[in-house]
Amino acid sequence: MTSDSSRGQVVVRLDDVHREYAGTSALSGVSMQIRAGEAVAVMGPSGCGKSTLLNMIAGLDRPTGGTIAVHDEDLGRLGETGLALFRRRRIGMIFQFFNLLDDLPALDNVALAAQLTGVPSRRARTRALELLDELGVAKLKDSYPGTLSGGERQRVAVARALMNRPDLLLADEPTGALDSRSGEQVMDLLVALHQTGQTLLIVTHDSRLATRCASRLIEMADGRVVRETTPEPVA
Amino acid sequence: MSGRGGRSTGWGAVWRASRAAVRRRRPQTVVIGLVVLCSSTTVLLALTLLGSASAPFDRAFAAQRGAHAVAVFDPTRTSGAALAQTGQRPGVEAAAGPFDQAVVEISEDWNGQPAGARTVVGRADPAGPVDRLDLRLGRWVTAPGEIVVNLGHQGTPRPELLGSTVEVDGAPPLRLVGFASSMTKSADAWVVPEQMPALRPTAVQMLYRFRASDTEAQVDAGLAEATAGLAEGSLTNVQSYLALKQAFSAQADSYLPLMMVFGVLGLVVSVLIIGNVVSGAVVSGYRHIGVLKAIGFTPNQVVAVYLAMVAVPGTVGCLLGTLLGSLLASPVLQMAFSGVETGSAAIGPRPWAPVACLLGMPAVVVVTALIPALRAHWLPAAQAISAGSAPRAGRGLRVQRRLSNTRLPRPVVLGLAQPFTRPGRAVMTVAAIVLGVTAVTLTTGLTSTMVAFGAAGRVDGAARIQVEVGSTANRRTAPKLTDSQIDELLRGLPGADRVTARALLQVRLVGYPQARFVNFYRGDTSAAAAQMVAGHLPEGPGEVVAGPSFLRQHGLAVGDRITLDVHGRQVPATIVGETVSGNPRAVDSNWSTLQLLGPDTQAVDYTVTLAPGADAKAYLDAVRTADPGLHPALLGSGNTVTTTVVGFASVFTVLLTIVAALGVFNTVLLTVRERRRDLGMLKSIGMTPRQVVVMTVTSVAALGVVGGLSGIPLGIVAHRLIVDNVAVVAFPESMKDVWHPPQLALLALAGVVIAVLGALVPARSAARLPIARVLHHE
Ligand SMILES: Nc1ncnc2c1ncn2[C@@H]1O[C@H](COP(=O)(O)OP(=O)(O)O)[C@@H](O)[C@H]1O
Ligand SMILES: [Mg+2]
Repeated sequence: MTSDSSRGQVVVRLDDVHREYAGTSALSGVSMQIRAGEAVAVMGPSGCGKSTLLNMIAGLDRPTGGTIAVHDEDLGRLGETGLALFRRRRIGMIFQFFNLLDDLPALDNVALAAQLTGVPSRRARTRALELLDELGVAKLKDSYPGTLSGGERQRVAVARALMNRPDLLLADEPTGALDSRSGEQVMDLLVALHQTGQTLLIVTHDSRLATRCASRLIEMADGRVVRETTPEPVA
Repeated sequence: MSGRGGRSTGWGAVWRASRAAVRRRRPQTVVIGLVVLCSSTTVLLALTLLGSASAPFDRAFAAQRGAHAVAVFDPTRTSGAALAQTGQRPGVEAAAGPFDQAVVEISEDWNGQPAGARTVVGRADPAGPVDRLDLRLGRWVTAPGEIVVNLGHQGTPRPELLGSTVEVDGAPPLRLVGFASSMTKSADAWVVPEQMPALRPTAVQMLYRFRASDTEAQVDAGLAEATAGLAEGSLTNVQSYLALKQAFSAQADSYLPLMMVFGVLGLVVSVLIIGNVVSGAVVSGYRHIGVLKAIGFTPNQVVAVYLAMVAVPGTVGCLLGTLLGSLLASPVLQMAFSGVETGSAAIGPRPWAPVACLLGMPAVVVVTALIPALRAHWLPAAQAISAGSAPRAGRGLRVQRRLSNTRLPRPVVLGLAQPFTRPGRAVMTVAAIVLGVTAVTLTTGLTSTMVAFGAAGRVDGAARIQVEVGSTANRRTAPKLTDSQIDELLRGLPGADRVTARALLQVRLVGYPQARFVNFYRGDTSAAAAQMVAGHLPEGPGEVVAGPSFLRQHGLAVGDRITLDVHGRQVPATIVGETVSGNPRAVDSNWSTLQLLGPDTQAVDYTVTLAPGADAKAYLDAVRTADPGLHPALLGSGNTVTTTVVGFASVFTVLLTIVAALGVFNTVLLTVRERRRDLGMLKSIGMTPRQVVVMTVTSVAALGVVGGLSGIPLGIVAHRLIVDNVAVVAFPESMKDVWHPPQLALLALAGVVIAVLGALVPARSAARLPIARVLHHE
């Protein structure tokens, strides 16, 4: 498995990335690579910089030092608009608190991502419905996020993240706000996605999620990578 | 993959996101729509009013190529040829004349005007380079023995008078062949030049248009240049068009400045509240902005979503508001210009005003949204997503700890501390409240002043009756009774309390070109006394009082002496007092002065104040029965100017109050909605729904008190600045001093009530929400 994934092309390359917030350092010299088809889990105590790292890779935030390249595209060279276009094409994001648009029903939340890239509305909705169906929440397509349970919301969020077939799926504590059963289901989903070849970067402090889903495990502390391991493959 | 996600794609998604926000955030959408609606109406009315205030004169004057100056020369000191030369100077754009001018005495009341001196000019042609007369009825004079009369601005020409004879003292009678109207008011009547010798002309008239004529100084300079070569003392009189322009709308002038204040206030408050409401919508949407960015909206698309979000209700509000304003414009203008001489100049809504409103208001909305939206544009997405979820508690906590040492209930302490946790939002709320309270304080203050102004000297509940005396002048049956008999009759009829008689004379004010009027009063003066600002009422003979417009236009002040001239009889008079307002062309005096000027003059009308509760109808009938030559009518309860101003001020006060209240309501609504999660948290640790409401309302009431306490003094200062600077109305201190502690307390309360109402609705909905749902909502 390790040899398999290392053969993939490099999707993300971080080189000595620093991020400081008003004097305090959230990331201090992080370097890593993620290859196509890999599922990487980032673990570490609260406040060690995991979310910051993820936001950097998604182009939601900019490093104060070092470089980040996705598919050999240096994010530092992209303007705000360039970063938005980059996110549309290459990145899917899942958050702990879902971050769905409260004003739109589930189906539209998902379809919106495709419409942004110029897919006609009808086609976008058809694909969105297929995805919701695959994730088992098709019957909730007309519900607004406010009326859904956490697990349901997260599945809608996953559908939205997958809508544009992203090169890289970023998940920031995707099970953090869920009860254990819903968390289980989201884990299963991520495992299944990895098996179809989706490149994944999951931030979590749930070691069960990490060992089940990830092909590689990165441990962080105080804004640095402290350990990299390959977990026991789950049978 | 290469073809997807280009720069120009995704605008459908932008529209979808904004449409959803408009539909799902109903309170916010409705508030923005309503604020823009009321603001558009206010602004449209303000623009219409400002546009109509001086334009009618200018347009009619320009159409007639009116004279910037009418110069009168002494023919014994200069020649016709020399005067013709004056029109050739470079600063003179055009000139007409010289025309012979005579002052004739018309002994009988005629054409609805009292007997008196009239200026007659000999002119062959009603057109020409300057002062092209509008021939309103009949034809121009073609031969001696004919006369054309100037209608002035007022009145409609009366066809039945064409062909009638005008008796002129010491000259052959003249036949009336036409009515003309001159915006320049260059003469009271015209005859052919050949007629003039018979009228014994005493002066020569020249009409000038100057290249520069915007100010009095420019008109003076133009005239000085034109007359530079003439002999000393040949120029005896000048009338500048600027004085005419002022007199034209003098009546409206007495309250237009106040109305302009309302108009400008409406504009400013509307724009500020729109800014507050719109930027509030954007600021409260930071997390939403973060999410949009995370899924790939470009910064421009995010800005577009927010602009569309406010532009939709903004456009609808603007359309409806402009429509409402257009519907209101005509009645409001009519109200504003009721009783003003408009003559051939038409007053109507300006077509550019709705256009300006339709273009301007959405622009205001977009610009006010753009400022915070651009901030959102640059806000790093990662920060935006987490914005709003974690308020900085430091300051709030410190305040809370300090307050905890007091005996206040826990929820009140928490409520008082809340504004400190989000200082930015608190400042915005206070700003909205201050603005609202200032506007309401100022407008209610102005309205109180105007009401006091209108009610001066009137007894509440007492009916007032005006009895007009029939005469050939008003073409009504003349009375059989004499002046003293009428006076006795009116006093004797049941219900009469006080009786005042008024006589009217047209006079010349020595040293001034135009005819003026004097009102002479006899009898009860208590109503007049209440209208005095300075000095005292006329007591002895030769004492007069005048309003600020008259004094200003003639460059006079209390204490100055003038000379009144009727039919060549000259009487010196002293200005002994100033009234609150008044006709710019008339002064008021008493019966003993009338004895000096025209002892035989009869009263033109009587004003009877009935005792409170007396039967007005019975009194009217009794007067009619006693003498059919007396024409009594019940007077309205207020004078027209006051009704106008109060009505107008009320329209603006209501609109501004709604706008201000909505602004406060909206800000509070947003604040409480942002805190919903905190509220859920507090409930989860055991706060009762009632405590949640108390806490939320306390937090807002505290801001309301701060806003009310700073808004009221601001409003009072603004009120004082305005009433002190309205030149045409000299308010006595009693009318400016409209503020009383109970009223102020009420205003302060109003600020708090508006804020509390704004807080109550969302606080109660938050208090009722199941805890899980609230916490669930990020
Ligand atoms: N926008 C911000 N402003 C200031 N400090 C921040 C900001 N975002 C994160 N931090 C700080 O950076 C550090 C890392 O945060 P984060 O990446 O969120 O940690 P976690 O590993 O829990 O996800 C923390 O100390 C946090 O307080
Ligand atoms: Mg985190």
